[in-house]
Amino acid sequence: MTAADAGTADSGAREASDGFDPWRIGLYAALVGLLLFYLAPIETGLVTSLKTDGAVVETLPYVPPGLDGFTLASWATALDALVRGMVNSLLFTIPATILCAIFGSTAAYGLTLVDWRGQIGVLVLFIAGIFIPYQAVIVPISRFWSNYVDLVGLLSPLWGLPVLKPHWGTLLELMITHVAYGIPIATLLFRSHYQTISTEMLEAARLDGASVTKIYYRIVLPLSRPMFAVVLIFQFTQIWNEFLFSLTLVSSASSPAASVTLILSGIGEAQSGLDFPLRMAAALIAAIPTILVYVLFTDEFAEGVRT
Amino acid sequence: MANLALDHLTKEFGGGSDRIVAVDDVSLDIDDGEFLVLVGPSGCGKSTTLRMIAGLETTTDGEIRLGERRINDREAKNRDIAMVFQSYALYPHMTVRENMSFGLEESTDLGDDEINQRVEDAATTMGIDDLIDRRPGELSGGQQQRVALGRSIVRDPSVFLLDEPLSNLDAKLRSQMRTELQRIQEDLGVTTVYVTHDQTEAMTMGDRIAILDGGQLQQVGTPLECYHEPANQFVAGFIGEPSMNFFETTVEDGRLVGVARSVRESQGDSRSPSEAQSASEDATEQSSGERSDPRVGDGFEYPLAEETQESIDDTDRVTLGVRPEDIELVDAAESDHDFRTVVDVVEPVGSGNNIYLAFEGHEEAASELDMEESRTFVATIGGLQRVEAGQPAIARFPEDAIHLFDTETGDALRNRKLDDVETVEPQL
Repeated sequence: MTAADAGTADSGAREASDGFDPWRIGLYAALVGLLLFYLAPIETGLVTSLKTDGAVVETLPYVPPGLDGFTLASWATALDALVRGMVNSLLFTIPATILCAIFGSTAAYGLTLVDWRGQIGVLVLFIAGIFIPYQAVIVPISRFWSNYVDLVGLLSPLWGLPVLKPHWGTLLELMITHVAYGIPIATLLFRSHYQTISTEMLEAARLDGASVTKIYYRIVLPLSRPMFAVVLIFQFTQIWNEFLFSLTLVSSASSPAASVTLILSGIGEAQSGLDFPLRMAAALIAAIPTILVYVLFTDEFAEGVRT
Repeated sequence: MANLALDHLTKEFGGGSDRIVAVDDVSLDIDDGEFLVLVGPSGCGKSTTLRMIAGLETTTDGEIRLGERRINDREAKNRDIAMVFQSYALYPHMTVRENMSFGLEESTDLGDDEINQRVEDAATTMGIDDLIDRRPGELSGGQQQRVALGRSIVRDPSVFLLDEPLSNLDAKLRSQMRTELQRIQEDLGVTTVYVTHDQTEAMTMGDRIAILDGGQLQQVGTPLECYHEPANQFVAGFIGEPSMNFFETTVEDGRLVGVARSVRESQGDSRSPSEAQSASEDATEQSSGERSDPRVGDGFEYPLAEETQESIDDTDRVTLGVRPEDIELVDAAESDHDFRTVVDVVEPVGSGNNIYLAFEGHEEAASELDMEESRTFVATIGGLQRVEAGQPAIARFPEDAIHLFDTETGDALRNRKLDDVETVEPQL
């Protein structure tokens, strides 16, 4: 087909779209279908979370409750139960996320843009770290923190100070564990970005008199903003939603150090059966921070994924 | 300000069997304030040499001295050298002002006011003072080029290194920047090393040019020395556009005897357009043997005067070189240095015409596609002279304008007479 042909066909399609264009109708139908497919579970969860116990039994899961079946009680209960866990989770997730990004970025800089002997060997170790499954390290980690480095005990003089509480020792353990586990993937992400940075530009900076650290602070770091957004979002979601480390290091949902996922796992469970509205409300509440992080970094995230 | 000396500089990459010698024993003295152009085909080691001077590449052997002080082991940032890169290498997240002040902030302890003053002065010199708060991404290629130059001059370095700085510009802007760069270099009086693969840039810009090939220094000299007194066949072929014509011959009784074809030098820039056409069969070479004229048969003969013969000594394989502009078109074959030819292709360039001539009797084979050899040779004539393809012409190779090279080694045996040059180039 020549360019001219394509042009007329295109304008023909545009004219037809004012009336009935079967192709276009099919496209929109498919899009709406996909939209429903993806949104239906979320809609069902949201609708269920707003129902009374009676309405849950009487109505179909995805049908909104009537006026008499509507209640916010589950949301209030869920929030009440989760708020403690959310505070705990934020306390270790935020620093762990930021540290992951900082360490990942500096490690990637050192392994990608600074030339030294043996760096490939070190890089291989980093990459290997990505492939270690969580399940394989649960036992060593719990033994490490309980038998060798008992932070709660070691830092006991601190707990007498105002604000600080003993269970923060456990949160610190969680934070360090997550940082250690997140560095390899963060390094890999930053490395792929740094490989696109012009070496001539860094050489120019060297000739301009900048040291290795100055080049990082003044050139590489400002140019890594989009990748920071990607790593921050990725790591925040990972660490916030992580369950296994919390389970092994904190162990009980009733512990003062319980994370949001630990509390979430047991919420709404009773002898009488599952409290579906409560579980749905709790799940939605627990998802709010990750959604907020995505919204906050949308532009940078898009740019970072593109590079 | 200082003079820069390269002493037996060598750079090898890799080791063992895949060792590559990028720069091979290069020695050069660059005077204070001199503009030296390093020129050569790609892969000749010119950029590696520059990077060794800058400190971006370690040296395998030899010494680099700046103002009599050895700087081999000094870090790049302590060498007091500024470099302009081919890609400009600007910091994309900084404004022009920040780009230019970066080096001063990092390498000096000047105050903010002083830095600002110097940045603004340099920006004015480069004519970019109105762009100072923009970012590189908002600038055109030419403007980015100016910022890159400005960033280097603002630091007032002892040595200024430029690595093919003009190759990303369009032709018009390139010739404009060429002049401007020369003016700035002259004003600042900074020792400058300029790397290029473009012989026109080398000829027009340098106080002296150093020609590199295969990592080895071929010749160092003023542009006109290199042009008129090339040390070897490589330099003769590399410098000058269109390239010098070469004819491989053997010496027989004071005459050069060869086949009627010219030899291509490695640089293929001046390839005749006819070579792009489809190749025709080589059928004429042997069939023209019956011609009576000894100089246009299957052989090519060029008698040499006594004086010229002495310069050859007893070398028996000699390459004859003659520059296109030295070939004269004459009305009648009067001397034994005149050859009957047929015009193959005419390339008008405005001020002159490049005409591709084929020896008579070989014109059918002229369009044969061959990178190494060509049945044609180039002559340049005045732009107002009318010559058309297919017409016969008599080409004269004046004996005082010919160059002779040892075919084996490529070394120059005899160069054209220079007293003649003085009349050609009265400014010298």
